[in-house]
Amino acid sequence: MIATVTKLIARRLLAAIPILLIVSALLFCVLRALPVDPAAMSLPPNATIDEIEAKRRDMGLDRPLPEQYAIWLRGALHGDFGQSIQFRRQSGSLVAATLPATIELALAAMVLAGLLGFGGGLLLFRLRGTILEPVADLASILLLSIPEFLWALILLFVFGVALRALPFTGEVAPGLPLPHITGFLLIDSLLVGRFDVFVSACQHLILPAVALGLAFSPTIMRVLRSSLFDVYHEEYIAQARLRGLSERKILIGHALKNAALPTLTLAGVQFSILFSGTLLVEVIYSYPGMGNLMIDAVRNADLPLIQAIGLTYCVAVLLINSVVDSFYVVLNPKLRVR
Amino acid sequence: MAFDLPRRSVLQFIAGAAASISAPFPRAIAAGNDAATVGWPNDVPSWDPNQRFTPDAQPIFKAVFDQPLDQDPQLKLIPHLIKTWSLAPDGLSMAVELRDDVTFHNGDKMTTADFRYTFFERIKSGAKLDIANSMKKVQDIVIESPTKATMKFDSPAPTMPQWMAFLGSYVVPKNYIESGGLDNFLHKPVGTGPYKLAEYELNSRIVLERYDGYWGPKSKIARVTIQIVKDPSARVAAIQSGQVDCTINVPVREVQRFAQDPAFAAEINPITRVILLNVRADLAFADKNVRLAAHHAIDKAALSKAFYGGAAVPLSVLATPGTPGYIDDFTFKYDPALAKQLLAQSGFSTSNPVKIGFAATNGQFPSDYDIARAIVAMWKNVGIDADLQVIEYAKYFELNRGGKLPEATLYSWDNATGDPEIFSGYQLNPKMPFSPWKDEDIGNRVLGLFGVADYDKRIAGYRDLERYAVENGATMPLLQSVVTVVRKKTLSYTKYGNGWLLPQTLQWS
Repeated sequence: MIATVTKLIARRLLAAIPILLIVSALLFCVLRALPVDPAAMSLPPNATIDEIEAKRRDMGLDRPLPEQYAIWLRGALHGDFGQSIQFRRQSGSLVAATLPATIELALAAMVLAGLLGFGGGLLLFRLRGTILEPVADLASILLLSIPEFLWALILLFVFGVALRALPFTGEVAPGLPLPHITGFLLIDSLLVGRFDVFVSACQHLILPAVALGLAFSPTIMRVLRSSLFDVYHEEYIAQARLRGLSERKILIGHALKNAALPTLTLAGVQFSILFSGTLLVEVIYSYPGMGNLMIDAVRNADLPLIQAIGLTYCVAVLLINSVVDSFYVVLNPKLRVR
Repeated sequence: MAFDLPRRSVLQFIAGAAASISAPFPRAIAAGNDAATVGWPNDVPSWDPNQRFTPDAQPIFKAVFDQPLDQDPQLKLIPHLIKTWSLAPDGLSMAVELRDDVTFHNGDKMTTADFRYTFFERIKSGAKLDIANSMKKVQDIVIESPTKATMKFDSPAPTMPQWMAFLGSYVVPKNYIESGGLDNFLHKPVGTGPYKLAEYELNSRIVLERYDGYWGPKSKIARVTIQIVKDPSARVAAIQSGQVDCTINVPVREVQRFAQDPAFAAEINPITRVILLNVRADLAFADKNVRLAAHHAIDKAALSKAFYGGAAVPLSVLATPGTPGYIDDFTFKYDPALAKQLLAQSGFSTSNPVKIGFAATNGQFPSDYDIARAIVAMWKNVGIDADLQVIEYAKYFELNRGGKLPEATLYSWDNATGDPEIFSGYQLNPKMPFSPWKDEDIGNRVLGLFGVADYDKRIAGYRDLERYAVENGATMPLLQSVVTVVRKKTLSYTKYGNGWLLPQTLQWS
């Protein structure tokens, strides 16, 4: 099984190379087609038109697009994604500084979305045919219709302002230090033995993670319920009943295993979307991740930074898909035989 | 091998963790009178204060670094690191004398060597700094002693004293940067300001600690945390819930709400920022009657009342009250009847309106898009049919460069110095990228003023220019912009005419 999974991941990674090239080229062309002037944005407001023109030449913006892309690609292959116009720092280093916070947030949100999704899906299934089914159905549709940024605002006002139960700005409370070892605050705080920082970081993570988790769980919930419906029409479920197994054992021991496969695939897709969904939530909660950085980059027409962040999102999505596919192989024996 | 965790231990751990996480979180106030947390809308772009001209970052830079000159709350230039200065009558040199009791946060003494390094050597070395632009006239800085130097210019630089207290002009440590490298400086910046940078997390927070060796008045609060909160609703929530002690740039309606709450002080302060319509000299606006009619049709007082609680002062010139270029006795009146009359002279009426394009940002400054919509309605009443389009601020310069801006564009211009060169001088300069107005007559008047060294003559020239530009429809000043501040009532600060909220002026009562 390990060999099959390794082969699959290797194949996926090889396939990722042309995908990344295409995405980077598309991103490059689209960004250059925007009616913004990176040269003007990179100069102070009192720069003259002549100085802006000189800057355009200096930045290579007067060259043909394919040549500009070739220069960028050569740099990117050497780890140089260009200097951010706004921050005057390497775009790669800015992404590296903010990516861990986004990963921590996305993982926490995905765990929550998974727990809520699977729990809710099982509950919806168990309520089938009961008087509560339409109520549960309506609740799941309601959850489905609220986007993550709205959850973020609702939770912020309920738990942050009205109840004052949880913090909602930044990553850790003012007055507490920010240890820097791996870049992942939860890990670093434990590595330096600062449990108070760890607790504060967890408190600050709760609201943004729940906002994202709540927004992405209903789809998982509904797909799991549909899959369970399908599975319950299979013969082996009837046979299990004939063998005298309890409904609980049938659900957990037989039906859920099979219904989990399509749900897992969907969860993988959801995780990719969730990763991009961190953008607005990070801004609302002042969470110092990559989404927050992206807002700055877009606001300032910081093309090198937008390009670097866009590409990072693409890599993240490809990696997530590879991991989900390998899970799929682990869970589905048929794929291993092939 | 099976590994069994005792069930009781697991439960105890879970209960402990849950209790810790649900424990009350420390609020800003918990830090006591020696600390304060400020909710700020934007991060600094870099810790090199010479690098980028970012108005929002200036109060933070002014806490860590010092400028050669400073401004008092009424924006008058005052000595700071420079004790005395003297601009030559021809504007080609400026002698300065620095204080001799200033040290950087690493203990190094600040001298004219640092001054020369900041305003001359760094720029000549090719470092990508925005001050390279403001200091481009600097030919050399001749050091006479550790405290005395003379700045030499290649052409008259009449606004050099103003620039010594403006964007990006902060003295940086020569030895520290040269010996430790720029990267080290960016990670551990060292200035001469009242606060040291204790901690920095990109897009999250800036922790400032009082510098006890500061040469000037000591800050009242020992530790100030600048919490970066970009979303205006989140800033409102943060001050409401006590997670910050003070914040700026919250929506005007929220300020009015906070003003009713006895726990808070909420203010709408007019600042040295103008909201204006930048206009073209061609297309439908080639007709002076149409331009003047468009201006006369705008009820600026109504805009101020509707969107800024009446606090934004209606403007008739490109300068704010109290600044040298402002003309007290000149008013461009709101007169829709006159607007209709002017349009009629050019063959337009409400039944046969003149069609123009109109661009505005949405969210670049408070209520920008709402103001634009209100202006469209006002214009419609007199016979101007405006097609409103939303543009990103970042696109403005590209559209202007390509001559693609419409007849009118809603714009906001910040000038912390209050000097008229940086108001109308920049806005109407045809060689600068701001205004779409490209006209030889006004262009030559502006360019001529850039070389006038005599202060009184220069100011008089700008006042004439401002009146002339408005009377000819070359620009349409609308309102003096405002900054909103909400703070805990027990936390006070010094109010500056340019909207600065300086950490070193914060004080608990």
